[in-house]
Formats: sequence, C-alpha cells, structure tokens
Amino acid sequence: MTSIEAMRTALIQSDPRLSKYNPLPRILCFDDFDDGVNGWTELLGNHDGDLDNVQPDRRDFRPPQISNLTFFDVGSHGAMGGNYALKIATRPRPNHQATVCKRLMWAGAGQVQLETYFTFKAEATFDREPRGGREYDGNYHPSEADFGSFTIGNDVSESEDGPRYHCVLRYVNTDQDGEFVQKWFSTTSPSPSTKALVAGEVKEVPDFHVTRPGDWREVPDSYMPLCYNEVPTKVNWHYLRWRFDLSTRRNVELQINDRVMDLRDVPVPVRPDPYWGLSRLLNFSLDVRTHTDVRNFLYADSILISVDW
Amino acid sequence: MRRSHTAVVERNTTFDSDFATEPFECAWAGEARWFIRVLDMAGPNTRLSARAQVSPDGLNWCDEGSRFPEISEAGLYTLPLRDFGGWLRLDCQVGGREPAVKVLIYLVLKE
Repeated sequence: MTSIEAMRTALIQSDPRLSKYNPLPRILCFDDFDDGVNGWTELLGNHDGDLDNVQPDRRDFRPPQISNLTFFDVGSHGAMGGNYALKIATRPRPNHQATVCKRLMWAGAGQVQLETYFTFKAEATFDREPRGGREYDGNYHPSEADFGSFTIGNDVSESEDGPRYHCVLRYVNTDQDGEFVQKWFSTTSPSPSTKALVAGEVKEVPDFHVTRPGDWREVPDSYMPLCYNEVPTKVNWHYLRWRFDLSTRRNVELQINDRVMDLRDVPVPVRPDPYWGLSRLLNFSLDVRTHTDVRNFLYADSILISVDW
Repeated sequence: MRRSHTAVVERNTTFDSDFATEPFECAWAGEARWFIRVLDMAGPNTRLSARAQVSPDGLNWCDEGSRFPEISEAGLYTLPLRDFGGWLRLDCQVGGREPAVKVLIYLVLKE
C-alpha cells in the first residue's frame, strides 16, 4: 500500500459515516437520507407530454419516501445512522412494483460499485390468513411470507451506436404462493423499450425488467436466507456491495453481509436496438415487489456509489 | 436552505368510487400542501370531496380536520397543513351518478 493509499484508508476508516463502506478509489455519491432523497426519484416510463401514454408496466412505480421507520408497536426505529432512511413502498396489490432510480453518467469505462445498508419488510397486518403454510409459533411470524422480492439494477448506454444493457439482480424471498425461495436471480432478457411497446413489437408484461414474465435465471449457489427478524416491525440492516464493470458489460460480484458471489460469468442481456440521446448513461435502480395484497417496503439507510476511473 | 420534497401520489388516475391515497411518511416535514389537479369529471352531478387524514403508524387513520371545498369541475385545488405528525393521506369521496374523476394528486413537503 502506498502512503497515499494508506492516508486515504485512514481517512475513510476514521469517518463514522464512511468507515462502514469499502469504496473504490473515487466516491461519486454518498447519499445520506437524513438529507433527503439525494437524486433517488420515482422511475416513470417515457411519454409525449400526455401521461395517459405511459406504458402500463412503468406507470405507477410510486414516489420515494423519507422514513423514520415508525411502527404501530414500538414507534420509531430510526435508521442505522441518524433518523431517516429512503423508503420504497408498493401498493397493497399483487405484483405491484415500486422502483426508484438515480441518474448519472460515466466518465470512464471501468468498474462501478454501489454499496448500501438496507432492510426489507412487509407491512404489518392483522387477522390475516398466513401464506406459505406456516403459522405464528413465537419465533416465526407469517409476515415474512408476505414479502415478495427486491431488485438492484443498472441502465448503461454507451453511445448512439449502442449497446444499452441492464445488469439486474433480484432477491426472491417468496414465490407467488408465499413459499420461501430466498435466492438471487438475474434477467435473461432486457426490459422492453417504450418504442417497442408502443409499436406492439413486444407485449407488455407485468414485470418491468424483462421482455417475457419468466425471463429470470437463478444465480448459481445463491440460496441466502436473510435475517427478517421474525416480526414485521423489527429492523436489522444488511450490508450490500454490488460491483459491475463497464469495460466487460458484466456484473463483477455481489456481497450481502458476509456472502460474496462472483457474477462475472452471469450473462447480461443487451437491448436489441441502439438508443438516441443516451450516450454515457449510467443509471441505478432499486425496487421492491409484492406478490400479494400486502404493501412491501425496501429501506436504505444510505447509499455510496464509487468508481475506479 | 430548507429541505423539501414533492411526491406525485396519483398520476392521471380515474376514480369511480371512494378511495384513500397511499400512506405517505412526512415526519421530517413541518409543513405540507396537497394539490389535486382534476383533469376531467364525467357523469352527471359528479363531485369529489377530499379530507386530510393523519396516522400514528401508517395503518390507523383519523381526520386531521382540514378538507378541500367540494370539487365539481376540472381545475387545480390546494390544501395547506401543519402539525400533522408522521403520516399523511387524503380520504376521498366520489359522488354523483356513474361518476368518473381523473386526477393528479401532489403532496408537497417542506422542513
């Protein structure tokens, strides 16, 4: 380690806000949600000024909220650091998905890393029939089976000649019936463009990230039960570190707490057409998806995006 | 400079019966202002009533005490609020014979 690297490491490790992260050499964003949404905004499909023309699968991704994680039984949890976290919330409707995105550009075709401390919860319900066949037993709460999935993704476009692609990784907590899956999946087809949907070249599917509903592939060796902590109102913060490489157009790895998955061999679907006006696009997305009539929530304490360029 | 945030809680949505907006967390904000932009009101004698509701937990709701004047034609309407605690929503009644009300609803929050 050079003296400059040692100095940088010492500075990061002595900063209580940064020392929980492992940034690449240049920090592009450190988004502390005590200061607002920091550019994480609701994703909305393209339109011509008439909002009726937004395609159905990208019309209702819900506005982000700044939450102090207040629950009916214990009051305010607060965030991991400070009082507030970013909250993404679905409607209480099966297969509803809430998505936020952050829009940047890339200044070098190198590695990009997103880190966050996150938690996921299903909304508390009362007198509800348990899904997935498991009753409350004191240590297990049926709320855990009310949580569907959450997803991280990017949107990268290189030039007007292309290509444009999305690295998308989804943690599927339960299947449609509430049975636990608890594995990671990647997409095998790209999100259809608004142009293709408007032209009728692609049929709209109720899952924004893929061209056809089943176009997800299990990430090998990704079984990963995450700590839900039994009830819908106890919050533990998970560490997530996701790295991708703009030079290879692939994921590099995903770390969740102590588990690290090498993703370099996971294929990343490329959109079939180049895109006008998106040169050097570098967007990030976070979303949460419910499988039932219970709101699902994804919270982020803070997010750090760093690069090696 | 004070932090602020605008949320579009309904976007070109058409309602033909009573509804409540999704719960929205606002504990960080000291003031709020609702906007209802009515794009279209169809059906004879169609009316929209909207009152502010508050909640300690996002699950159980009661009236805050403020409400929009009854809306009977397209236009932009607003309602300011203070001292609302941690959660806000609008509880809305759609009246008339075979009514259809198409709206955008904005919640503007400020420290």
